[in-house]
Amino acid sequence: MAGSDEVNVNESKSVVPLNTYVLISNFKLAYNLLRRPDGTFNRELDDFLDRKVPANAIPVNGVFSFDHVDRTTGLLNRVYLAAPENEARWGIIDLEKPLSTTEVVPVIIFFHGGSFTHSTASTAIYDTLCRRFVNICKVAVVSVNYRRSPEYRYPCAYDDGWAALKWVKSRPWLQSGKDSKVYVYLAGDSSGGNIVHHVAVQAADAGVEVLGNILLHALFGGQKRTESEMRLDGKYFVRVPDRDWYWRAFLPEGEDRDHPACNPFGPRGRSLEGLKFPKSLVVVAGLDLLQDWQLAYAEGLAKYGHEVKLLHLKEATIGFYFLPNNDHFYRLMEEINEFVHSNC
Amino acid sequence: MKREHHHLYPQTDPSTSASAAAGKSKMWDEDGCGGGGDDELLAVLGYKVRSSDMAEVAQKLEQLEEVMFSAQEDGLSHLASETVHYNPSDLSSWLESMLSEFNPLPPPPGGFGGGPLSVPVAAAPPRPQPVGDPFLPRAESSSITTVDFGADQRMQSSCGRSSQMNEPRPEIGSSGIVFDEESSSDYDLKAIPGKAVFGRAQAQAQAQTRTRLASTSSSSTSSSAVTAKRFKSSPSDAAVGAAPESSRPVVLVDSQENGVRLVHALMACADAVQQDNLSIAEALVKQIGFLAISQAGAMRKVATFFAEALARRIYRVYPQNPPLDHSLTDALQMHFYETCPYLKFAHFTANQAILEAFEGKSRVHVIDFSMNQGLQWPALMQALALRPGGPPTFRLTGIGPPAPDNSDRLQEVGWKLAQLAETIHVEFEYRGFVANSLADLDASILELRPSDAEAVAVNSVFELHKLLARPGAIEKVLGVVRQVRPAIVTVVEQEANHNGPVFVDRFNESLHYYSTLFDSLEGCASTQDKAMSEVYLGKQICNVVACEGADRVERHETLAQWRVRLGGAGFVPAHLGSNAFKQASMLLALFAGGDGYRVEENGGCLTLGWHTRPLIATSAWRLGGPSAGAAH
Repeated sequence: MAGSDEVNVNESKSVVPLNTYVLISNFKLAYNLLRRPDGTFNRELDDFLDRKVPANAIPVNGVFSFDHVDRTTGLLNRVYLAAPENEARWGIIDLEKPLSTTEVVPVIIFFHGGSFTHSTASTAIYDTLCRRFVNICKVAVVSVNYRRSPEYRYPCAYDDGWAALKWVKSRPWLQSGKDSKVYVYLAGDSSGGNIVHHVAVQAADAGVEVLGNILLHALFGGQKRTESEMRLDGKYFVRVPDRDWYWRAFLPEGEDRDHPACNPFGPRGRSLEGLKFPKSLVVVAGLDLLQDWQLAYAEGLAKYGHEVKLLHLKEATIGFYFLPNNDHFYRLMEEINEFVHSNC
Repeated sequence: MKREHHHLYPQTDPSTSASAAAGKSKMWDEDGCGGGGDDELLAVLGYKVRSSDMAEVAQKLEQLEEVMFSAQEDGLSHLASETVHYNPSDLSSWLESMLSEFNPLPPPPGGFGGGPLSVPVAAAPPRPQPVGDPFLPRAESSSITTVDFGADQRMQSSCGRSSQMNEPRPEIGSSGIVFDEESSSDYDLKAIPGKAVFGRAQAQAQAQTRTRLASTSSSSTSSSAVTAKRFKSSPSDAAVGAAPESSRPVVLVDSQENGVRLVHALMACADAVQQDNLSIAEALVKQIGFLAISQAGAMRKVATFFAEALARRIYRVYPQNPPLDHSLTDALQMHFYETCPYLKFAHFTANQAILEAFEGKSRVHVIDFSMNQGLQWPALMQALALRPGGPPTFRLTGIGPPAPDNSDRLQEVGWKLAQLAETIHVEFEYRGFVANSLADLDASILELRPSDAEAVAVNSVFELHKLLARPGAIEKVLGVVRQVRPAIVTVVEQEANHNGPVFVDRFNESLHYYSTLFDSLEGCASTQDKAMSEVYLGKQICNVVACEGADRVERHETLAQWRVRLGGAGFVPAHLGSNAFKQASMLLALFAGGDGYRVEENGGCLTLGWHTRPLIATSAWRLGGPSAGAAH
């Protein structure tokens, strides 16, 4: 047993920079401590270990942020905006003007990952990522602090996503362009990617316009074991049994992985034919054991007649976008940049 | 590889939040900065790993994975529930401490740096304690019996030596950390079910625990957000203090357009005051008055206090300092104590650190710089009383300001505590010292005893910042603390920079700070308690905004700044661990005031805040040895 683990360890170590290896291995280790075999979760230790940062209304390297809380629901969104040109306005939150009256400034509603269980909008890896989105992709970002499992199972995360979408759409200060509207894209990694899909479906059903979906190695699955799951199990930071645990923690008790939340195009899935569904950028990491599900998702969208761009980064592992120390990171940013600005 | 992309990206990494003063520009380097410093890419994500240690840390991760794999479930559950974790940002130390639980080896020569208190002496996870205390009579209704609290003979009883509960001997783990989880104390928080699913079962269990704890305590506290470790202060002389940081965590609750307009008007008014445009300032202050009325809740009250403070500045009607009426201040603080968790959290977390430091000591002495009504000490005394092996003799030195009516408040408080000590059979000695300022103290006054005979804790809750009003005062006091040779120094301070050199910056920082603080009070049920708490905080606002020089005593500084000061004075961090965090979080969850409170871990310190904004920070310190400078 120890022998095969050693092989696995060396494999992941050889495909990512050392500091990335340390970062993701650390998460893997910490998360192993937190999941209990009986399906419960050590939330206090998770909170203790999670590295968080507060928002900062004073711009740092061109980006500032602030948090908004809905008092009745407790839902928190963290808003990231480009710093005002006028330095005298730094630190002052102006909610009276739109983002622009001439240009379109896309607003990305971001759902952080963590398999529905870990991380928050304040978690440093995600705060950092959102800041990079603003700076590199010239967008505004709203990061949603959705409720997590196992304390809050399906559909809580989706409900929070939907609430966030409605909130964002109704903020005058997130409007842009000559037609003064909020140009919304949904983005998310891991469980966040899964949330993107489901919120987009809800939006399409309700006639709420979402201009595009960005799914970063999204969490999808199903009862059957795909070839990539079997081939890559335990090789690049992720194990299949761990994935199962998180689905058991998120899905309603007693449900299996063919539940449509997990497997939207599976046996219990729903047809998206004829639905006014946004275009999608589906990003797949070639060393992610879930890639078969993500590839199937992209195919499913195409089958229903929806626009899909597949970005298959064959040598990327999960979490490649946390550190800007590899080609995949830059490729991703270029693609997102193009994706959100091509409509204007 | 990535150089071809450079045309798209700015030179600096937009994610870093190094202070504007430092203004570093990061290179796109595969391994971070390379060389002897911390890996900058990881630092931004909250992890401190020296680039030169990266390979070793990777190795530790691998070792730990292997060991955990072989140990199987028992090992994992042990690490998750029994082990006390410290400072997860310091990956190397954190991994090392977990590894040492599996492989009992002596710690590496460098030690654990600013590591856990329990190294190398075994320290029991502190027993959870009730933070409010029914034994301590409320200030208004005290009945003082004459107790000779200096004579210890009567105090001592046989009960002191025997434990009241049947507890198994604590097991000493291989790393010296004592595992005491079998304890069947009434305060055993493990009885709160670990079931993560919040269903009726959880609510019921919580209700049961609530009832059980309610018989001894009625308080709970909330937690605060973590201040990013990346807020680096520029290197500066500790005597001068740390450079102010450029950070403003803003939490808007139900963003209302008027609320934001009001904030702008206040900021514009402060700006006008700073520019000495008093006629404009005056006009704005009046406008603020109108805007404030149309606001609801916290924003209205905050705006009113800030507007009043600005008006005082404009009309040069400065508030008197120190306040005349101590009984009013006491009452206000008591209401603040009851209304919201901040003081309780402060006391609770400080007591945790003190308890750990007092482990195994038979004579202990607490020097309290923030005596006030002694609210912190009943809980500590009770915890000491319940120690396996019996309580130590407990000496308390309380320091406080003189009362203008010459009443002996300090002695009264001491008497009440002595009463408590008698009922719980703790040998108790008390001395009260009146001082206008902590800087008036000398070590010789404190009647210290040899440190091998008596372990000393120095405790300061919201007091140190006041010393920044006079040059040299903080240095003197920290020097006296060093002379005391304390086993532990506990410091609780507001997590904010209200001491910057520029008035407008101070104003804006405090505006956002107190807005968040007032927001957190909104959930409070009792309107009277809430009103009194607001007045209590309003006095602070007035002092920050309307006073200057020696009168301006509310000179709050951030944890990062205090780290520089205390580090510079020769203290090293004594980290608060996951046990204290967990207990504080759980007590908070019982607090009826609102779900918004958050405890967070910040580099070995704990903060309490409202949603994502840290508001107060507890840190613990001990004397650095010869290699103090090498500690993290």
